[in-house]
Amino acid sequence: MATEHQGLEIDRVTGWRMAPRYALLVVVSVIVLFPVYTTVIAALKPGDKVLDNPLVPDAFTLDVLRNAWERGNLDRYLLNSAVVALVVTFMQVVTAVLSAYAFSFLHFPGRNLLFFAFLATLLIPIEATMVVNLQTIDSLGWKNSYQGLAVPFFATAFGTFLMRQVFLQLPRDMRDAATIDGVGHLGFLRHVAIPLVRPTIGAMALFAFLSTWNMYLWPVLVADEEEWRTVQSGLKQLAAAGIDEPNLIQAGTVIAAIPVAAVLLLFQRQLVRGLTAGAVKG
Amino acid sequence: MRDVGWQWRDLPTGLVMIAPSALVLGAFLVYPLVKTVSLGRQRCNESGTRCVTTGWDQYSDVWRSDEFQQALWVTGKFTLLVVPIGLALGIGLAMLADRYLRGIGIFRAIFSSTVATSVAVASLMWFFLLQPDVGVIPNIGWVEDLFGVVKEPGLLRDPGTALTSVAMSSVWAGLGFTFILVTAGLQGIPADLHEAAAIDGAGGFRRFWSVTLPMLGPTLLFVVVVLTSRAFQAYGEIDLLTDGGPDPQQSTTTVTYLVYGDSSVVRSDAGLQATTAVWLFVILLVLAALQLRGFGRRVHYGD
Amino acid sequence: MSAFVARRRRLAMVVAFAAVVAAACSSGDPILDAGIDPTAPPPPPQTAAPGETLPPTIPATTTTTPFADLPECPVDALGDGDDPVEVTYWHGLGGESEEALKDLVAGYHDSQDRVRVRLQNQGGYNETIDKYLQSGADGRPELVLMPEYMLAQMVDSESVVPADVCVNESDFDMSAFLPRVRSAYVTGGVLWGMPFNVSGPVLYFNKKMFRKAGLDPNKPPETLEEIRRYSQRLVDSGASGTGIALDSGQDNGGGWFLEQWFAKGKKLYADNANGRSAPATQVLYDDQFGVDLLSDVRKLVDDGLAAHVGANPSGYDSFLKLADPKRPAAMTIGTSAALGTLITTLDGGLVPGITSEQFGVGPMPGPATQPGVLLGGASLYVVADKDDEQTAAAWDFVEYAVSAEVQSTWASRTGYVPVRSDAIDIEPLRTTYDDDPRFKVAYDQLNAATEDPSAFGPVIGPLREIRATNSNAVGAILNGADPAAELEKAASQANRLIRNYNTLNN
Repeated sequence: MATEHQGLEIDRVTGWRMAPRYALLVVVSVIVLFPVYTTVIAALKPGDKVLDNPLVPDAFTLDVLRNAWERGNLDRYLLNSAVVALVVTFMQVVTAVLSAYAFSFLHFPGRNLLFFAFLATLLIPIEATMVVNLQTIDSLGWKNSYQGLAVPFFATAFGTFLMRQVFLQLPRDMRDAATIDGVGHLGFLRHVAIPLVRPTIGAMALFAFLSTWNMYLWPVLVADEEEWRTVQSGLKQLAAAGIDEPNLIQAGTVIAAIPVAAVLLLFQRQLVRGLTAGAVKG
Repeated sequence: MRDVGWQWRDLPTGLVMIAPSALVLGAFLVYPLVKTVSLGRQRCNESGTRCVTTGWDQYSDVWRSDEFQQALWVTGKFTLLVVPIGLALGIGLAMLADRYLRGIGIFRAIFSSTVATSVAVASLMWFFLLQPDVGVIPNIGWVEDLFGVVKEPGLLRDPGTALTSVAMSSVWAGLGFTFILVTAGLQGIPADLHEAAAIDGAGGFRRFWSVTLPMLGPTLLFVVVVLTSRAFQAYGEIDLLTDGGPDPQQSTTTVTYLVYGDSSVVRSDAGLQATTAVWLFVILLVLAALQLRGFGRRVHYGD
Repeated sequence: MSAFVARRRRLAMVVAFAAVVAAACSSGDPILDAGIDPTAPPPPPQTAAPGETLPPTIPATTTTTPFADLPECPVDALGDGDDPVEVTYWHGLGGESEEALKDLVAGYHDSQDRVRVRLQNQGGYNETIDKYLQSGADGRPELVLMPEYMLAQMVDSESVVPADVCVNESDFDMSAFLPRVRSAYVTGGVLWGMPFNVSGPVLYFNKKMFRKAGLDPNKPPETLEEIRRYSQRLVDSGASGTGIALDSGQDNGGGWFLEQWFAKGKKLYADNANGRSAPATQVLYDDQFGVDLLSDVRKLVDDGLAAHVGANPSGYDSFLKLADPKRPAAMTIGTSAALGTLITTLDGGLVPGITSEQFGVGPMPGPATQPGVLLGGASLYVVADKDDEQTAAAWDFVEYAVSAEVQSTWASRTGYVPVRSDAIDIEPLRTTYDDDPRFKVAYDQLNAATEDPSAFGPVIGPLREIRATNSNAVGAILNGADPAAELEKAASQANRLIRNYNTLNN
């Protein structure tokens, strides 16, 4: 994860004084990576060798990974996670862009009040709603289905807030000029506004994808049938699955972590931008 | 923003565009909240097919009950572990990697890497590390001699150490996030501030306290806000590592786990669940209000 | 001082204040009492509506003539139609058991073409229960496999046809059924569910370690005193790190074993003949017997002769303790259903130096007053309010599933205990038991006949939740808490659960 910031000139050291700095960096890195290291090693060892030397990769096989994939139903879990995450991401962007446009470019009475109401929902944590949401989903017959997993997350107030922020930063004259040219709302949205705020949309999409992918409690509650579990809730099944291959969990964990790691590597910049959108001033 | 009068003709368009978001938010955030509050006045049977209304007393009964107070206590302890330690480590890592060194990018990537782990993945990695019979750490020879509890009965099974162990796994999982944010915050500090302080004779340490930390204020506040809400809402870690925790004190049953956990006594009664969930909401609301007030002043709304 | 630090200080103060306020507010009452007035008298005993008769309170083993009030079982309604009748069967079995069930159904289809069974795996017992209880009459299947602790709830749901009604209608011969297996599902004198997959707790022990300690591997310990003696020898001789691995999970040590030990001690677990002559109103296990029992077990842990492996959510922690490279245990108590998996695991080399032949299976140890054990597993229920044809079809399948030949194959393949004694004389089970007598241990335990209601286990609505409560108490005791206090707490919690259940379900 490269950021441009390279530290202060005045702190720069050269020569032998770099050594203790490097040493410290290496030690800390080892500590930070330790859990990942042991898990990956265990995932790549055959089941009976796992207990012997947990720190040393003295045996290698891909069989356990293959087993976890098949026995653990991981292909189905990954598919479910992917479908749900993609659909939710898309819908969150759509609903956020639409409502943010209305809140920033339209001037209808009651607008500010409605926006405030939107913001107020930011205070409602998802845990407080799950009991009833579960009942709602159940009565709709949506338990153990993609709808049940995805629909409650089709919109977030934060998404609207973020897109509104960035829409408001667009110059007013652009909108006026477009109006004079006879461009309607949707046209403006499609051809002018969205292209200009693409980076923010990218960041928001990445965030939506990751948080939906990583969700744990809701999929556990809604999808209790094998077919419909997501990767996160499905891992728990693996944990209870097989004592005859104790490193099945580790293998499953590795497989589960790969897609996220790949996505993050590809979209590093958007990630940093997304995370810092709320933190840094302005 | 330039003051334009209300335009009624915008109303239909506006409502149509807001409708999708409003519908979802209304159906899955607002409605459940209202319904949960009323469900919280009822007691229900295991299958949820029959409920009996008992009244508002149920709320005060739940708040004052043994299990809930215990869960509050556990949640408080958990938060007080996760937030300061996570913050301190995040700052430490960010400062460490904020250096002009060759290959620093690799270290930065490593420090950020935990942001790629989900709660489930991170917890399971730690479970494998700590499992006393076949886990990694307990079977390293000298560890047992120094810290017997790691092996017998195991960090996750001893009521004294279970919560701290779960907290550590949570801290580890959040390291990448904190690191990225603090690093970005460090970027925002103008170099001349540091140079001015250095010219005035301030050494590295002094500069950290009087320049870096204050300038990081908004960033650190944001991190604290996020880490605190995450801690209060922690569920996955507990579900995977301890299932509510070794007794006799249900040592890792937080308020969220009390509502939804497999081994929670509340689970069999949707009414009780709702009551407890409403209290969780109230707590989070108070927390958010407190934090937004201090933090909101610093965020520019662009209006 | 920067505003940031001031903010943190203020936050810390607020948190501290809130903690103080919260602590001062604690009432010490259990959350299960919330909203309910605990001084309110328990619900009055049922009175009959005019014109109706109430089933009399009878001892558990006396049969009555209740069929006039129970749903009908039209076993002859199948007729000779052209199209096969389809029935849906909900279950929660997984792994090898599920494969065996699929084969069983395939065999049924081969043997006749009048009925087709559609298997639907709900994902586990919990999921099956939730789904079944929350479905209305139209959502329910024709057949459902429910675990043993669901007996009271199934009866109270008034949604099933008792097996006895069908047995009577079709003159089904149940004389070969193992008495304990049959009695387990009898309440109010009526057999409600047809036992299908049966397991029991057994002792697993490492024969190699026994020999090394000079103990006879053909005579495993059968009482708690013997467990202590054996463990002492094992530890002293260095043959193993500790004697027995015990868990406090709700499906094992904490919940189930407690019931088992009460049965073996010929003590009632709940009132009203363990809930079998009338609905239970309170539990009885917080007496001196329970306290002494758990104190003795705790002493084993304190003396290093037993290891407490925690709540065991996966079900495997007690077995993993046997594989601990540093300080392995030599024994553990587990379900007989795990024997097959254990053999596969050991043969796969999980525990270095041990093969599956070196493991022995013995009867579950415990008080010697009343031999035998309570069963685990599940039973088949025929769901009511269906077409006559469907009910008849469902019963036809039930008869097939518990026939001697089918049970022989089923038990041999899955390691479950056959529900009837004539199955063990038929292949393949006969060879299985001959080749590996370890599989027969669970069977023998369930073959011990008796009439005493304490031998059949409790029938209580919230039994599952009560087991969870007990497991917390047992876990706390094994971690050092006072046995009498914990048991009392657990019992009053259990009584609350029973009270709430009765209030809400009547």
